[in-house]
Amino acid sequence: MIKVTIDGREIELEHPVTVLEAAKQAGIAIPTLCYFEGLTPFGGCRLCLVEVEKLPKLQTSCTLMTADGMVVRTETDQIRAARRSMLEFLLINHPLDCPYCDKAGECELQDLVARYGPEAGRFAEGKRRHPESFDDPIIVRNMERCVLCTRCVRMCNDLQGSYSISVTGRGSHSFVEPFSGGRYDCEYCGNCLTVCPVGAIMSRLHRHSYRPWFVEKETETVCGFCGVGCSMVLQMRENSIIRAIPRRGIGFNEGLLCVRGRFGYEYVEGGEELTTPLMKVDGELRQVSWEDAVSFVVKRLREIRDEFGGGAVGAIASGRCTNEDNYMLQKLVRFILGSNNIDSAARNYYAPAELYLERIFGQGITANLISGIANSDGVFVAGGDPTAINPILGLQVRSVWRSGGRVIVLGVPGGLKRFIPYELTPVPYSEEIVLSAIVGRLLEDKPLRGENAALEAKLRSLRIPSDDELGATGVSSEDIVRVAGDLSSMTTPVVVIGPDVVQRKRASKSLFLLGAIAYLTNARIFLLAERPNYQGLLDMGCLPELLPGGRPVELEMFRHKTEEALGMKAPEEKGLNLFEMIEAAAAGRLKALYVMGENPLFNIPDSAKVEKALENLDLLVVQDVHLTETARIADVVLPATAWPEKEGTFTNLERRLQRVRKARRGKMASYGRDDWKILADIAERLGMTKTYHRVEDVWEEIMHVSALHTGLGYEEIAGGSALWPYYGEPLRGMEGDFPVEGLDELPEVTVPEKPYLMIDRPLYHSGTFSRRSKALLGIHPGPSLVISPLLAERHGLSDGDKARISNGRGVLELKVKLDGDIPDNQVFLANTFEGFGAMGLIGFGTDSVLGSIYIDDNTVRVEKVLR
Amino acid sequence: MDIVDEIRALSGKYPDRRGALLPALYVVQKEAGWLSQEALDTVSRALNLPQATVKGVATFYSMYKHRPMGRHLIQLCTNVACMIMGAERLVDLLKEKYGLEPGGTTGDGRFSLVVMECIGACDRAPAMLVDTDFHAGLTADNIFRILEEYE
Repeated sequence: MIKVTIDGREIELEHPVTVLEAAKQAGIAIPTLCYFEGLTPFGGCRLCLVEVEKLPKLQTSCTLMTADGMVVRTETDQIRAARRSMLEFLLINHPLDCPYCDKAGECELQDLVARYGPEAGRFAEGKRRHPESFDDPIIVRNMERCVLCTRCVRMCNDLQGSYSISVTGRGSHSFVEPFSGGRYDCEYCGNCLTVCPVGAIMSRLHRHSYRPWFVEKETETVCGFCGVGCSMVLQMRENSIIRAIPRRGIGFNEGLLCVRGRFGYEYVEGGEELTTPLMKVDGELRQVSWEDAVSFVVKRLREIRDEFGGGAVGAIASGRCTNEDNYMLQKLVRFILGSNNIDSAARNYYAPAELYLERIFGQGITANLISGIANSDGVFVAGGDPTAINPILGLQVRSVWRSGGRVIVLGVPGGLKRFIPYELTPVPYSEEIVLSAIVGRLLEDKPLRGENAALEAKLRSLRIPSDDELGATGVSSEDIVRVAGDLSSMTTPVVVIGPDVVQRKRASKSLFLLGAIAYLTNARIFLLAERPNYQGLLDMGCLPELLPGGRPVELEMFRHKTEEALGMKAPEEKGLNLFEMIEAAAAGRLKALYVMGENPLFNIPDSAKVEKALENLDLLVVQDVHLTETARIADVVLPATAWPEKEGTFTNLERRLQRVRKARRGKMASYGRDDWKILADIAERLGMTKTYHRVEDVWEEIMHVSALHTGLGYEEIAGGSALWPYYGEPLRGMEGDFPVEGLDELPEVTVPEKPYLMIDRPLYHSGTFSRRSKALLGIHPGPSLVISPLLAERHGLSDGDKARISNGRGVLELKVKLDGDIPDNQVFLANTFEGFGAMGLIGFGTDSVLGSIYIDDNTVRVEKVLR
Repeated sequence: MDIVDEIRALSGKYPDRRGALLPALYVVQKEAGWLSQEALDTVSRALNLPQATVKGVATFYSMYKHRPMGRHLIQLCTNVACMIMGAERLVDLLKEKYGLEPGGTTGDGRFSLVVMECIGACDRAPAMLVDTDFHAGLTADNIFRILEEYE
């Protein structure tokens, strides 16, 4: 026990903390400038000076640790004089351009000077000059205002792990700059904007367009971009978003955001939103009234159901719509139209991967806390770069390295490159061999514990590759020994699984092997989720085989429970999944498809095949915010509300239920209607007896129908700690037998003549929304083909040249970007920009065990386009 | 030995990669006489240190140059002792003879001049460094004899 006296108050402390923290605990505020909670103390600004008895000089309270018997005073004449002097020094160079500085009103320097003075400076020489830099599309840098607190540098290095800026020069010529001296070319997380106490680093998005006191309303909500679900505050003025900011104390993201969350919101105000429903008349989409559009949809759905049966109707739900929206779509299709044909783009990898892992380990195996990753002593990442797909989760992985843990990445390390001790990059499509070898080696160190009989039986019959077989992958047996040794030495490891390992042939085996690594090392599993509500899709029953609450359709006992709760009947047999629906549409068996918030024509491989199938439908309804590629070929298009206009819930990848709140409302908001409302309207007209007035009514029904959500009202969810399985341990122990494809086989490693086209998942864009954000386009303006310098050399290409890639599915011409970190036999293209989607040139097949897709036949010919 | 190998060999002598940064910067500066962005990038890659960190360190120390320098770098002390002993006259002479201004470079790229603070040779002032060679007891006569040795 440590006793200290601060300003005459006795404080007892369990553990030694800094004087500043001790004072804070006692409710005594000491002024600071370079201190920022969560960052390493710096002691540079000298504003937190305090008097400590028996110490001759004033001490910086942010760096001074408390000791027993310490007597501290935080506000005396001597301290005030010192603070005034420090501020006078800072103002020597600070331009005092407060009247037109955007920071004025929330500037820490301004506030401190207002409190401590000085009234006037005595320094008669001129101020340093350094022109404001507009070289960057997002961040404007005014180094004349900088007070060199280095909060931004510490944020960038210690928390973000981007290491993109540093103090250059020295003395009064010290400026915080990126390497280029101009454009940042960094991760653009904008977390430096959060910590800058003055107007030195500012966002261009709202430059000179507001003052802090213009913020009329703040809405706390959850980011709509990825499956992490960071909390953020939308600051509104006249129904327009001024800023999206994180805030310490709300959400588990602890005041951090990524580029998409912070700057990507603009897509909702881009002016391209749909304003009225559209209907195809004489082959052309024309504007119609809501009444005409909805009654047409109702009429056609009824006709198709009556003529061909419910099985002729299908629906695609959306990972960017709320649980309430998705629940209502599922209800319409399943209980009103009588079809289990409902699926979503989560089918691409997330849903099958999770359901498969749950078959091995039991329900809830992937329900682990993101914030817990930082406490682990090692991470194994396979199948995608978490710092790009789920950036805030990626930061947790980086922090494992920072605290001395090991990070191992199978594949191209991307944003983790600086955080790994060695690379492990096998040739494409040989990951299965490498994983088998790692498991084989691990089995030598880690005895089987007998906890999971089915898994262990399969491990015994696993074929372990010989050194020769391993050699073909480009990974040596020494590498395997090293990886397995590192994995064995971890006591609290984490396994992160991304989309790429799942979108391979024999995905069940790769997942089984990753599961085996987790089992043998006793690791927690995290499944990366590209969309904010992939997990919600599973929980809401937007799967052909599962009802809300994860109850299997085909088990009568479970189905009856749901039917009883609702008083309605669901079809007994499981429905068609996403790809089966496409096949059925092509074959003419599926007649109507209702697409909500998804763009299958762009987001499913082999676009030409998908387009043909969709063209073959009798009725294609698309409900979305914008006129997407799919909407353009629809019979009816219904405008929906976008994320900041929605009220409801998202379930993130750790299965945390979080509230999405409406920030924009009234006249200036978009003309769309809430997804669930449109669906409820259609369902009512098709005979549903229940009426929903508010979104809470929908949630109440979900609580009633889904066992997972029982007793979890909006109030409980608002606390932010509503994780399911909620009270207590994950619902494990459902292990049974499960199939694995090719346990005793190994794939043949062939190196094709032409490179593979791989899906790039860049940090700055995640899909068809991000391409409408001006800010994100400023950073990453258009499509580029990322190739290795070696490949570029072979084709005579250099950075910025135009290349043509082609295969049997199509031809694209686009700029190349050289990247020394990617392998030679792969080229990367994001599936983001209209007309340049990677999916168009990629073929796919369906995995027989998972029902997921595997990417197949994706080599492309690369040529230089001569001008 | 290729420059990257040279830097990597250096980094083996230090407990961590950052420790090798200052000597590595000398290695690349030796090549061109100054540190271009490309040179900093080479160091960053060779040591796997962030570019911005390398730049921050490189711009802090005055012995690293960030613009092209002449073939030979004259660092002439004009601090108190040297000043009293006539160093400022030497600065003027350099200007007269070579057109060399403090902080500048001769038109033929032969010399660059940096007027610097004490180099610890007050007992034999005025003093200068030419590249890494030390010369003291400079006079209006011998300074040019010395400099003519440097092509």
